[in-house]
Amino acid sequence: MKLSTYNFLTSVAIKGVKVGFPLKLTINKKEVVESEFNPTFVERILPKLDWSAVYGAAQVAELTEDIPAVQPENIVENELLLQKLHHLLFEIDVLEGQLECPETGRVFPISDGIPNMLLNEDEV
Amino acid sequence: MHVEETQQKVNKAKKADKKQRRCLAIIKSDCEVSPSAEPTPYLAVLNVGLSNGLTEECLLTEAAATGGKVIQVVMLPGKSYCFFICASLEDSQLIYEGMHNISTIGQQGAVAYLSYIRQLPALAGKSEWNKPLPRGLHIIADFVTEEEESTLLRAIGEDGRTSEGTGSLKHRNVKHFGFEFLYGTNNVDPSKPLEQSIPSACDILWPRLNSFASTWDWSSPDQLTVNEYEPGHGIPPHVDTHSAFLDPILSLSLQSDVVMDFRRGDDQVQVRLPRRSLLIMSGEARYDWTHGIRPKHIDVVPSASGGLTTQARGKRTSLTFRRLRKGPCDCSYPALCDTQQTKVPQELHASLAAQAITLEQQNVHEVYDKIADHFSETRHTPWPQVSEFLDSFEPQSVVLDIGCGNGKYLSCNPLLLSVGCDRAQGLLAVGRRKGQNVFRCDCLVVPVRSSSIDGCISIAVIHHLATKERRLAALQEMARVLRPGGRALVYVWAKDQRKNDKKSTYLRQNKAVNKERTTEQQQRQKQHQELEQQLSNNNPLPVHTNRTEFQQQDVLVPWKTKDEQKTTYLRYYHVFEEQELENLVSQVHEVQLIKSYYDQGNHCAIFEKISKNSL
Repeated sequence: MKLSTYNFLTSVAIKGVKVGFPLKLTINKKEVVESEFNPTFVERILPKLDWSAVYGAAQVAELTEDIPAVQPENIVENELLLQKLHHLLFEIDVLEGQLECPETGRVFPISDGIPNMLLNEDEV
Repeated sequence: MHVEETQQKVNKAKKADKKQRRCLAIIKSDCEVSPSAEPTPYLAVLNVGLSNGLTEECLLTEAAATGGKVIQVVMLPGKSYCFFICASLEDSQLIYEGMHNISTIGQQGAVAYLSYIRQLPALAGKSEWNKPLPRGLHIIADFVTEEEESTLLRAIGEDGRTSEGTGSLKHRNVKHFGFEFLYGTNNVDPSKPLEQSIPSACDILWPRLNSFASTWDWSSPDQLTVNEYEPGHGIPPHVDTHSAFLDPILSLSLQSDVVMDFRRGDDQVQVRLPRRSLLIMSGEARYDWTHGIRPKHIDVVPSASGGLTTQARGKRTSLTFRRLRKGPCDCSYPALCDTQQTKVPQELHASLAAQAITLEQQNVHEVYDKIADHFSETRHTPWPQVSEFLDSFEPQSVVLDIGCGNGKYLSCNPLLLSVGCDRAQGLLAVGRRKGQNVFRCDCLVVPVRSSSIDGCISIAVIHHLATKERRLAALQEMARVLRPGGRALVYVWAKDQRKNDKKSTYLRQNKAVNKERTTEQQQRQKQHQELEQQLSNNNPLPVHTNRTEFQQQDVLVPWKTKDEQKTTYLRYYHVFEEQELENLVSQVHEVQLIKSYYDQGNHCAIFEKISKNSL
């Protein structure tokens, strides 16, 4: 699972959960898959992402030195930051780990790179 | 000169020996056949068979020219060899001497090689001529005299020619009396009798049937179809529509003999219909066997001496007499019964609602998990209009594919951020191996932030949901994750696999039907028999026959695995009627339909989430 995908996932469907976002991420095994850096792509994807989950992912991936807690305004001119965001969002691939609902603690395992977000009927 | 000729002969014989050995080796790897140096009554034609275009007629004509008599010909489908059983050793020798390395019946005049064999291979099977007739089938020879034959031909010629029912089909001329048989629907319209009723010349026939008619639904017919077959014409195997006509169906053959094939699943019986005979199809023969005539110029028929011989066809006119049913059929042969195949059981909707989750679990999720790899191999080419939709987004848009399967649409447009989800772990793993972003979920509960997605596709997914409420909920879930202004594309399988009389790709791939080697009815029947053997047959829903028209909306569609077991899995589908998808979209909150269309057997809709401002 790429951390860009992580940015969209929520547990809000669980009965009684109000926000369900961001999910608590645990990484047990990851790899880095290098891909071509395209500053425009990162820059134009950013408005569609939730920065708190971007920063949250950076914390778990131990990249907080690279990524600020608050989204800077002049990000277009900051190619170095865009490059670091590219690495965080599109190159880190979580192979084993889990996602946890912040409100109920329900755990969604990630194995072989695929998060299992399937809920049982009685949880919805 | 003389020496050269001798040398050539020797070379030719040597070549034939070599060929003979090589062909025998090939046949041996196929089936148990041992060659014999001494003459036997069994002959193998080593290098020509059905697979390279040899016909039984051609083979028999060639054998007859040697003076040898043949009792049975065994031709195996898809094989480049065939066998004879000869009447005696003498006959066998005549044929061998006359044909081996001489007869040019191969492709493009290639010479045939023969060999004596000790016995026929086990899979040769029984002759189609020694089988009992289907139950309910009777043939009454000399049912009319030659004078009556001429009278009848005159009567139908004079009366019918000007009637509205005159027409010419692809392979034969037809005329109708009483009611027109409509080939589009394979039925009649009982409210529209023709001006011409059955000619009174036919009235001589009915008193002759008194001994049979006590068990029939009728004593005189009200519909007559006349078919004129020139040599080479035929009629594809079919059963007369159950709901259109009562039991039995009568057919009088005039002017020429012909051979008719009766089939039920794998059972096949050939029946000779002599000139001036009456064929009676009643009960099982009328309802549960298909009948047809192969488009040939020559028939193979049993000879008076117990062997086989060929018979050239002449122009043949058949008079088919039937009586309209004017209501649903209540026969006890459901496999080919249009009434029973299209009837939706009343309790079905209630039971679908109660069992939706179990049904989807067993007949969708579990099946896709089991067939994932094979299924994925068959799903590689993106449908052009789906690709087009994906290309309509601005670069760097976020697109979610709900029910992404093996993820074939996730890499269509590399300028997008594409994410896919599916229920089937096996299919997700295929996509994941290709480096795609995927997660596992149900399409009714998509774990994605509301209003976060620019585009959404769901291709061939919601037709797996067993109730209207669930299908609607899946669309509503797509609407929820779309941002205002975001667009979604949905594909579902259409019940109607034809548009403007054009068959969909799905139907076009049924090559056997399209080349008229068989019919949809026959395939349905064959499958019905196979499934009876394989499955417990207490399926809650009718089982669809692959690559034929859908008979119902809620069906189980078989998937046959490629491995040796050839296991059949049944997938549940709800195939959509026209406008059904549009109606469903109209019930989704916060969206409007942009476009809907029909694409290769699918109903498709594009809808957009309305921006808050315009609400």
